[in-house]
Amino acid sequence: MPAAPRLHELQQGIADALLGRGDAVAAWVVGAGLDPAARLRVYRNAVAGTLTAALRDSYPTVLALVGEDFFEAMAARYRLQHPSRCGNLQQFGGALAGFLQDMPEAQRLDYLPDVARLDWLRQLAALAADALPVDAARSAMAAMAAADALRVRLHPSVQLLRSRFAVLSLWQWCRAPSAAAAPRVDGTGEQVLLWRDGGEVAMASLDPATFRCVERLGAGDDVASAWTAAVETDPDFDLEPCLRDLLAQGLIVAFIPQESDA
Amino acid sequence: MNDALLRVQHPIPAAAGIGLRAPHMAQVLAERPPVPWFEVHSENYFCAGGAAHAALERIRRDYPLSLHGVGLSLGSADALDRAHLTTLRRLVERYQPALVSDHICWGTIGAVHLNDLLPLPCTTEALELMVSRVQQVQDALGREFLVENVSSYLSFRDAEMPESTFVAELVRRSGCGLLLDVNNVYVNSVNHGFDPSSYLRAMPHGSVREIHLAGFTRKEHLPVPLLIDSHSRPVADAVWSLYEEALALCGPQPTLIEWDQDIPGLEVLLAEAGRAEERMHACRTAFA
Repeated sequence: MPAAPRLHELQQGIADALLGRGDAVAAWVVGAGLDPAARLRVYRNAVAGTLTAALRDSYPTVLALVGEDFFEAMAARYRLQHPSRCGNLQQFGGALAGFLQDMPEAQRLDYLPDVARLDWLRQLAALAADALPVDAARSAMAAMAAADALRVRLHPSVQLLRSRFAVLSLWQWCRAPSAAAAPRVDGTGEQVLLWRDGGEVAMASLDPATFRCVERLGAGDDVASAWTAAVETDPDFDLEPCLRDLLAQGLIVAFIPQESDA
Repeated sequence: MNDALLRVQHPIPAAAGIGLRAPHMAQVLAERPPVPWFEVHSENYFCAGGAAHAALERIRRDYPLSLHGVGLSLGSADALDRAHLTTLRRLVERYQPALVSDHICWGTIGAVHLNDLLPLPCTTEALELMVSRVQQVQDALGREFLVENVSSYLSFRDAEMPESTFVAELVRRSGCGLLLDVNNVYVNSVNHGFDPSSYLRAMPHGSVREIHLAGFTRKEHLPVPLLIDSHSRPVADAVWSLYEEALALCGPQPTLIEWDQDIPGLEVLLAEAGRAEERMHACRTAFA
């Protein structure tokens, strides 16, 4: 290795060593009684441990399903394919569901990516911005507006997951595995609404039409359009209980009349 | 009285606080132990909202607060992460902490984050970069920023000055405050073979705003000693001695007990803080 490196050259070399891409940088490291590569390994293990711990925090249900050994091996490969892009570790695991989709060893666990999505959405719900629900007076005023001239803003913690697997039942079983036999994951799919209730993440399985309605409302459709979309899913869909439940849970934080929607 | 006025009444005293971590939050909120101040990791509050912020708001109402960052990566050859700095600035505006700090280290290169406190080479190039970065941060936050000396497990062949000179020059040239981690001084003195007392004497004592104490672990089965700054144990006797030396040089300073792995009960941390208080008391008596 040439003489004194520039800082960026040295740091790139260290990064390569810590990500397992070669120890050429060891030539610039003082050994002082140890193999310089051994000194680099202290950091390599620390970085690996930190990133894996971040994944464990974000994906407790994936960990419960696949076990320690699989999770460690998965994390080791994920770290290299999706290096951390943020100084805030809460953002590190965002690509895990897609990663699991393509991971050969996970192909038999075809429900695993959706379990990962659920874990990730739970974290997003837990960390989302705070917002106050609309008050009764505004709700009463909104009730008088025409449905095609009214939009709602859902609470920032609201997340939605449509799965072809019984992903919420599986999550619940992972929380209390001894309570009953494992649910059949390949039966009917589940549509999950997630939100924050107090400090805790709450989840509910919605019927397909209600899910469709909430999804459209969250995307910014006016109430009439969301209603129409839900009725296409289920002709018997009733809008009123859907809105009432959203209001009761404090998940509507604003009514937006059409005029102000420039 | 508005919120801002209430908040400035909470400067950090020259007393021993503890690093507040998630496992102790509920107990602290319920029992309100008489801790003189708390420090939290800034990045744990980079999220937009939720339970963590609700808890920290309550802590901030009743205790002086310090925000200690681990993710700014001040010494990276990469440009400073503007988004990270903006989030930190908003956090500082929201909580108005008495102290704000991060480390003399780097952790990002080529936009890849290693999420660790990696040592810088003690070179003029790295020093000049750090000086400009600290000034950039102080300008962005509009207030004094503290930098902390880190522990390290390797050093670089092309170093141009001792670590103590690097740290002292950084503080002097950038006009920032120093968060003197006495455990890190001790760990590095063993790992790199220097005299920790000389290191302490070389520090700019008038710029020390805070002291950190923590426990280390020792790597076994190596031909030379290697201490790891694990924050997983009580403060070692040798570090207490060094802390006494630091107090004699700098006077009593806000001192923090850090414990981040194998976190014990809150009473263990409070007892460690008590040991720091005893030493500050002895220092005051000696100077009186």
